[in-house]
Amino acid sequence: MRLQFMLSEIWTGLRRNLSIAVSVMLVTTVSLYLLGLGLLLQREVDTLKGFWYDRIQVSIFMCGDDSAEPNCAGRGVTDEQRTALKDQLDQMKPLVKNVYFESEQQAYDRFQEQFRNSPLASSIRVGDIPQSYRVQLSDPTKYDVVVSAFQGAPGVGRVQDQQKTLDKLFTVMNGVTVASLGLAFIMIICAVLLMATTIRQAAFTRRRETGIMKLVGASNLTIRLPFVMEIVLATLVGVGASVGLLYATIHYLTGYVARELPDVAIVGAGDVWVVAPTLAAIMLIIAIVTSWATLRRYLRV
Amino acid sequence: MIRFENVSKVYPRSSRPALSDISLEIERGEFVFVVGSSGSGKSTLLRLVLKEEGVTQGAVLVAGQEVGRLPQRKVPRLRREIGTVFQDFRLLPNKTVYQNVAFALQVLGRSRHAIRQVVPETLEMVGLDGKEKRLPHELSGGEQQRVAIARAFVNKPPILLCDEPTGNLDPTTSLDIVRLLDRINRTGTTIVMATHDDDIVDQLRKRVVELKNGHIIRDENKGVYGSGR
Ligand SMILES: Nc1ncnc2c1ncn2[C@@H]1O[C@H](COP(=O)(O)OP(=O)(O)OP(=O)(O)O)[C@@H](O)[C@H]1O
Ligand SMILES: [Mg+2]
Repeated sequence: MRLQFMLSEIWTGLRRNLSIAVSVMLVTTVSLYLLGLGLLLQREVDTLKGFWYDRIQVSIFMCGDDSAEPNCAGRGVTDEQRTALKDQLDQMKPLVKNVYFESEQQAYDRFQEQFRNSPLASSIRVGDIPQSYRVQLSDPTKYDVVVSAFQGAPGVGRVQDQQKTLDKLFTVMNGVTVASLGLAFIMIICAVLLMATTIRQAAFTRRRETGIMKLVGASNLTIRLPFVMEIVLATLVGVGASVGLLYATIHYLTGYVARELPDVAIVGAGDVWVVAPTLAAIMLIIAIVTSWATLRRYLRV
Repeated sequence: MIRFENVSKVYPRSSRPALSDISLEIERGEFVFVVGSSGSGKSTLLRLVLKEEGVTQGAVLVAGQEVGRLPQRKVPRLRREIGTVFQDFRLLPNKTVYQNVAFALQVLGRSRHAIRQVVPETLEMVGLDGKEKRLPHELSGGEQQRVAIARAFVNKPPILLCDEPTGNLDPTTSLDIVRLLDRINRTGTTIVMATHDDDIVDQLRKRVVELKNGHIIRDENKGVYGSGR
């Protein structure tokens, strides 16, 4: 079939079935948007892991003069105790990669900086956050070794490892990913059913044309291709719209995160371009398979 | 050109065969009327030639090829060799006369150049020149049937099957249509026409095959409508 004739047939078909073509497009958009969010969230988890594993730390908080920790027994850490802790840490190389000391004043300043937009900042005084050693590990997964070595040591109030906090965050993010992928799955089922219904209806409204095509000996491909192409076109528009929406979402979020959490790594617009081909491929395959299978059933030759 | 060898056809969910043990040979360039009362199997006979239905028993051969053995993907090629005309015209209501005829060539992938040449020729041959831009509802029944014939013939098929092409037309118009078919027949096209129309059969004096309850009860050259009356 000549290209021009075919295009005009597809165009006529789309115009005649515009509302249903638009609904195919919208359902495609929403399902791919959810699928895309799920994929991007997974990439974000990976990004964060890389980002945080680089700077993951175990914090050894020492006793302050009025610490409530039972191990401190109400006394602040002495200079000897602090030096002993430092020596012990130095002996744990190479697992311990770096050790930084953070004084009460430095801890206060960092808190003020991190929570400058929050009412929390003004509720904290110097000394509320005790002085600490920040320990960077060469293998972040072995934080337990450090934690157990210092938990309960003289002058140590509390040993806190960020891994635990992070794991909680990752659990939440994985949960959201599963939820969005689950919704995407439901929406994709909707898309498949809608495409099948669309084809059935189009095959019915155009039974006269297809009947004549069969009689004059048009090939199966010629008869079926316009139907498939209509669905593919609607799908492509949906793919474009969903990628646009994802781009806008990420663009907005990156701006927000850059302002509010300047030292947190986040997926960027580049990642949208990475997932876009996957989204397009998945949906196009679904569209082609669904419409061809429906045509085999409802457009007998 | 068309040969039936002991063909029987039983539709699913039907006890009585629509055709039983039919043997028939139609030569190239013949004009054959298939007559018989309603339900005698005329349309079934034509559908078997087009492979719209498969035979239950026996073989149908078109141009030496056994239709029943043809794989599905080769059926379109068979149908390109056969033009078809129906009682209800089957035109596309929102395409003009010209577009309706051109459609048959477009879906076969013919070039625009070829279409622009052959469509006007065919329309002139069926007597529709000057009405190219009309829509089907702006035409009389006879004119609509001419469009349908032009569409069936525009690809110059060696065989033309007509299922009661005059069923919806008055006697004068019917005769005009059959004269047109006769002219097409004289270009060498084999024509098989199922009909109820006794006047036409009696006037044209062609070969007549009469069916009754799925059997051939008469096959004569230069025949008349006969017993069905
Ligand atoms: N699709 C079908 N399924 C079942 N039975 C059918 C089908 N088509 C036709 N028949 C039966 O086959 C027999 C022959 O039908 P056919 O349509 O060939 O007759 P016909 O001679 O063309 O009749 P008419 O002059 O009314 O068009 C009839 O008994 C009919 O009921
Ligand atoms: Mg009939």
